[in-house]
Amino acid sequence: MEPAEVEFLAEKELVTIVPNFSLDRIHLIGGDLGPFNPGLPVEVPVWLAINLKQRQKCRLIPPEWMDVGKLEEIRDRERKEDTFTPMPSPYYMELTKLLLNYASDNIPRADEIRTLVKDTWDTRMAKLRLSADSFVRQQEVHAKLDNLTLMEINTTGTFLTQALDHMYKLRANLQPGESSHSQDF
Amino acid sequence: LLFLQRVLLLVASDVDALCACKILQALFQCDHVQYTLVPVAGWQELETAFLEHKDQFKYFVLINCGANVDLLEILQPEDDILFFVCDSHRPINVVNVYNDTQIKLLVKQDDDLDVPAYDDIFRDEEDEEEDSEAESEGSEPSEKRRRFEEEVIERTMKRRQRREWEARRREILFDYEQYEYHGTSSAMVMFDLAWIMSKDLNDMLWWAIVGLTDQWVQDKITQMKYVTDIGILQRHVSRHNHRNEDEENSLSIDCMRIAFEYDLRLALYQHWSLYESLCNTSYTSASLKLWSVQGQKRLQEFLADMGLPLKQVKQKFNSMDMSLKENLREMIEESATKFGMKDLRVQTFSIHFGFKNKFSASDIVYATTSLMENIEKEGPETTNFIKALDSLSRGNLDKLHQGLDLAKKQLRAIQQTVASCICTNLVISQGPFLYCSLMEGTPDVKLFSKPVSLCLLSKYLLKSFVCSTKNKRCKLLPLVMTAPMDVEQGTVIMVGIPPETESSDKKNFFGRAFEKAAESTNSRTLHNHFEMSIIELKTEDRSKFLDALISLLS
Repeated sequence: MEPAEVEFLAEKELVTIVPNFSLDRIHLIGGDLGPFNPGLPVEVPVWLAINLKQRQKCRLIPPEWMDVGKLEEIRDRERKEDTFTPMPSPYYMELTKLLLNYASDNIPRADEIRTLVKDTWDTRMAKLRLSADSFVRQQEVHAKLDNLTLMEINTTGTFLTQALDHMYKLRANLQPGESSHSQDF
Repeated sequence: LLFLQRVLLLVASDVDALCACKILQALFQCDHVQYTLVPVAGWQELETAFLEHKDQFKYFVLINCGANVDLLEILQPEDDILFFVCDSHRPINVVNVYNDTQIKLLVKQDDDLDVPAYDDIFRDEEDEEEDSEAESEGSEPSEKRRRFEEEVIERTMKRRQRREWEARRREILFDYEQYEYHGTSSAMVMFDLAWIMSKDLNDMLWWAIVGLTDQWVQDKITQMKYVTDIGILQRHVSRHNHRNEDEENSLSIDCMRIAFEYDLRLALYQHWSLYESLCNTSYTSASLKLWSVQGQKRLQEFLADMGLPLKQVKQKFNSMDMSLKENLREMIEESATKFGMKDLRVQTFSIHFGFKNKFSASDIVYATTSLMENIEKEGPETTNFIKALDSLSRGNLDKLHQGLDLAKKQLRAIQQTVASCICTNLVISQGPFLYCSLMEGTPDVKLFSKPVSLCLLSKYLLKSFVCSTKNKRCKLLPLVMTAPMDVEQGTVIMVGIPPETESSDKKNFFGRAFEKAAESTNSRTLHNHFEMSIIELKTEDRSKFLDALISLLS
């Protein structure tokens, strides 16, 4: 999967906005949205929120986990634990990037939030690499990792599976050395 | 109704127009209005674009072009075509003002237009003949005869009145249209529009600031108007940018901030070295007379007076010692007053976003102008325009930096040309005006085949000349400047600029003067520019044109 595809899926998440226009309920294939009234918060998918924000038709309200205190707690917890801790949203990385790129003026202390999320991401990726490393070393057959988000899986997924394939081929080539003697006759 | 129709944007080639265009484009994008953008550099291009597109579009928006001529006569549009004109050129043609249906002018309410009253210029034709038929009945021949005499008297009175009225009308129109000047920046008018629609953003405010600064850099508006407009923009700036003082909830560093600054008047000084900037800004160069040896010495004294070591001053501004940079503005101001430069500081705005990017409004103006008038051809005609337009967006920093480099080259070229003109006494008095002509083969002369660059050169030259000459009368004269435009076709470009005085009202009479001189000598001229005081001329006709101009203005 491409990271862009993962981001596309992330854009379906709901976020709160405060519109400055009014519109009746709109009926889309995925569901109904609205009605929109100026000044009243309404929940919409992220893709619509970003579009409206770019057209200056709304103000974005950051999700409640996007707060400096909470993110600090999450980051510290992630650093303490050896395994992966649950994340506030299965798409935390994509949402942070989208919201901070397009609506950083609606998010207080945006720079600190960006740093905290990046720290958390780095810690989790380090754990992932460590776990993959020990998996290969000990030649395990299967592993179970909880609380990984799709973006993280996607980042290592392709590499890991292809690397394991190569290693399997290399290992498989080691063994037939003994049985090939039979063909010399 | 705009949602269903497409709009054609015709934009003139100056920075104010570019900024206004950017604001309008942003507004169109918000509301999903489809538009087509056509840059035009002169009347011919305007007409061509109009003829090409008139069947497909009903709505035309003209930015910084079209207000000072009779649009309906020149373009001959159909009755259902609507023009929106946002133009800082004044005086606005009276037909455009009084037309109710097809021409909509976007002008700020308090802009003083001084338009003559309707009755003074237009007159219904029917008043004439009404009374004559009313008295055909009459019983007695003597009565009839008396009445006939009365009628004749009335008619002659009316004819005399009409002649007087027409003479007065010609006078009024002549006074009204004699001088060209500029009104409020189109970018500011567009920003007002956005504000009224509550769609104004910090980005648009910045473009309005750049538009206003362009008018100031090109000396198109009076100092008082500039200060008033800065005041207006300052209120908007505080409204948009007050969150920066609040530490708790301050904005991300990547957000764009605008700050009001009482900054130095030195061109591009933060992107250059202080020394270069002092040498290449017209104000300092003219006041210190840097084309002479004494001038150079005075510059050294000036720097010594401020305690700035030469080595520091000649390196890139950002690498100067912090201790020197801290009080730089106040120090320079103090020393400058000692050396006769009282106005070295000017009220302006600067923008910053990210950690590295800080630009002053005049930096952007210089960069965009040089991008737009870049003589290196990189593709079809409009590439330069589009590049300059793009450089105004924050995302295109590489174009902006390219523009800054080009601007430095341009400023250096201007200063060197000015120095050589003054030193070789190329500026001569022709009686009612000063005249200077750039020869082919002068270094960088190709740069000055473009109108805005030539105007900048002329203004700087006039400033320097006024500082260098001892002749009191010459100091008050306007300047006419020519430069070769196209060597193959044998044309020169000629600009006329008003005299350089403290309280100049920046009104320029050369537009009309050029027209009359061209008529009377049958010179082959091209009055293609939206500014009437810039024309193209065949080199052979130059001398007779000048003679006509001299006799016209004496």
